[in-house]
Amino acid sequence: MTPFVDPWWLPVIFAGLMGLSILLYVILDGYDLGVGMLTRLEKDANRDLMVASIGPFWDANETWLVLGIGLLLVAFPVAHGLILTQLYLPVVLMLIALILRGVSFEFRAKAPPEHKQRWDNAFFGGSLLTALCQGYMLGAYVLGFDQSFAAVLFCLLAALGLVAGYIFVGACWLIYKVEGDLQKRAVRWAEISLWATALAMAIISIATPLLSERIFDRWFRLPEIIALLPIPIASATLFVGLAIFLRRPLREKDELSWVPLAVAGILFALGFVGIAYSFYPYLIADRLDIWQAAASPEALSIILIGALFVLPVILGYSVLAHWIFRGKATHLSYE
Amino acid sequence: MDALDPLILARIQFAANISFHILFPTITIALGWALLGFKLAYNRTKDGAWMDAYRLWVKVFALSFAMGVVSGITMSFQFGTNWPGYMEKVGNIAGPLLAYEVLTAFFLEAVFLGIMLFGFSRVPNWVHTLATFLVAAGTTLSAFWIIVLNSWMQTPVGYEIRDGVVHATDWWAIIFNPSMPYRLTHMLLASALTVAFLIAGMSAWRWLKDGGGEGVRRTLKAALYAAALLIPVQIFVGDMHGLNTLEHQPQKVAAMEANWETQPHTPLILFAIPNEKARTNHLEVAIPSGASLILKHEAAGVVPGLNDYRGDHPPVAPLFWGFRIMVGLGMLMLAVSWLGAWLVWRRGVDALPRWYARALVAMTFAGWVATLAGWYVTEIGRQPWLVTGVLRTADAVGPVGGAMVASSLTLYLTVYAVLLTAYVAVLYRLARLGKAAPEGKPMFPLPGVAEGPAEPQSEAPA
Repeated sequence: MTPFVDPWWLPVIFAGLMGLSILLYVILDGYDLGVGMLTRLEKDANRDLMVASIGPFWDANETWLVLGIGLLLVAFPVAHGLILTQLYLPVVLMLIALILRGVSFEFRAKAPPEHKQRWDNAFFGGSLLTALCQGYMLGAYVLGFDQSFAAVLFCLLAALGLVAGYIFVGACWLIYKVEGDLQKRAVRWAEISLWATALAMAIISIATPLLSERIFDRWFRLPEIIALLPIPIASATLFVGLAIFLRRPLREKDELSWVPLAVAGILFALGFVGIAYSFYPYLIADRLDIWQAAASPEALSIILIGALFVLPVILGYSVLAHWIFRGKATHLSYE
Repeated sequence: MDALDPLILARIQFAANISFHILFPTITIALGWALLGFKLAYNRTKDGAWMDAYRLWVKVFALSFAMGVVSGITMSFQFGTNWPGYMEKVGNIAGPLLAYEVLTAFFLEAVFLGIMLFGFSRVPNWVHTLATFLVAAGTTLSAFWIIVLNSWMQTPVGYEIRDGVVHATDWWAIIFNPSMPYRLTHMLLASALTVAFLIAGMSAWRWLKDGGGEGVRRTLKAALYAAALLIPVQIFVGDMHGLNTLEHQPQKVAAMEANWETQPHTPLILFAIPNEKARTNHLEVAIPSGASLILKHEAAGVVPGLNDYRGDHPPVAPLFWGFRIMVGLGMLMLAVSWLGAWLVWRRGVDALPRWYARALVAMTFAGWVATLAGWYVTEIGRQPWLVTGVLRTADAVGPVGGAMVASSLTLYLTVYAVLLTAYVAVLYRLARLGKAAPEGKPMFPLPGVAEGPAEPQSEAPA
């Protein structure tokens, strides 16, 4: 069959869809993983409530990872192989962590009470290890899989940075989803993790252009720099604005409890746009661009037809699920 | 052979991951439909016993689903971490099929599962029933796309090779490739039988303990009838699948039968120890002309032998034994389910002899064993090819070193062993607790609850 869009555009469209999936994954599963890490700070009923607040969503949230990595696999098979063999160890650890996190949801509620603590540990450990591995991979990816000592240090820093980021978005989720004392503590967690997240984003934003001349040129060149300035300015403004907001976030009837979550989402999106701009059109820094890595135009067209029909539906019913389980979290039950 | 041969290790790792993974879809595919059946039966009769059954088995479903999702994610990364040559060569075909699986099935299940599990009092009853239906449809659709891809790897058609890369020429031919309809039907029935024996086995276990109430009697009976109805269909479909394999992958059938020479009057070997070095069988016990009769439907039918495919056929012993385990279990299922269905039909569940109930308990996981044995036959039977005639397994493996793969394999195996133990233990715990199982936590009053059925209580004496 003949491609129905210019073959030049197909890899661009797929890079966009893949980026969108990964961004949605980072925000959506980010709050799940953040809540998972924060469960360590609470006990018993509060911990159950925190888990319940993500219960109906985590499955669908995690699926964005499958779609993101799936699009990399199907649209850019060469890059998929190169990236994942380079990241072999962190990928394996992340998968094991995701397995532990995912099954602990079920086991912690169904295993005998005396084993619950173990599955809570697995839930916390799985969430933490997932975040660390993903952060490490982000760092390694940004550096083009450099294996030097300094590079490994940078990757470890990125790992901690993503942990902070996920805790931040997780705390914002809790502000939105719970009430009372737990909500007040969530505000406190958000205030602390906010600054850690800002620091991590700043370090990665400064390090990336210094590591690559091409990326440096993309950012610090007229007239682009003027067009790009809004990204760092908006990020900084949002960080500061949210920090001020968090001093008195709990308005009458909890009306604005969604604000921190929304701001966190926008901040993640801004950071993501920054990285995407630095890299485009490369999938692996300065080595492999999206046209070199792409599958055949015929294969891409056939996937695109399906994606154009299905993606709006997926987005629609994801919104539907969030709407059905809107409002404050209650203790989950199969009723 | 080097103990840390990366190719063998990567293959073992893939086999371990996919074996662990397939256990759970095998349950969820059919259990989804069973749940829909329980739900519809409840909607029709308003009989609480059906809802008890739903409540118990929806928990098993949730647990199995979570295990399937997390192990499935591992699968999607395996292609890149261990088999980069696969997508580079056939990505133009495997890619769209996998993409359609994720797009059409994965999200459908994942989103509506939330409503199915936790939405009972949040959405109207019909929406809950619809969500149950969509989840069941999602799991089946998921199986469809994966089986399409697997079957295409067995019997590839509708493609051409340009510059060393496979390109699709005919998507209809690819999707409805020669072995797909047989493999799909065989797998769906395998899932149904696995679930039937799982439900029958767990229900019998509960019944042996303390009777378990009307819900347990109901599911035991339904599972036995379903098994008795489906097993002859499965045996018939399996036979058709075998004939299809004979047509398209004769060397696989030759290995399944441990038949070395192409000959008429080929015996059906019941027991043997195949020796691949000497290219012969030891301790052979066989029925004369049996294989010719089964495969060619005449005693003088010529059945292809392994010696026609020297150096290009799969290892013989695993196929020979895997096939016998699967068929043996199939025959056992036939005997057990027909006897049980007859007993229940004549005398009712409570009059079942206790030894028979114990036999059902022993067969609780028989479906898993048969399904795995069958998949080992078909997958090892494709070797040395990854995609028959297109890509050899050895040419697809990645550059990751043996020690690295050995460590990741150890990690996976440890985690899988722990999880499988926990899974089975929790299944029995759920069966013991029955409808009162876990999450009997306090429920906060919900604002604006949509009208669902009132808390259905069991009217039947437990």
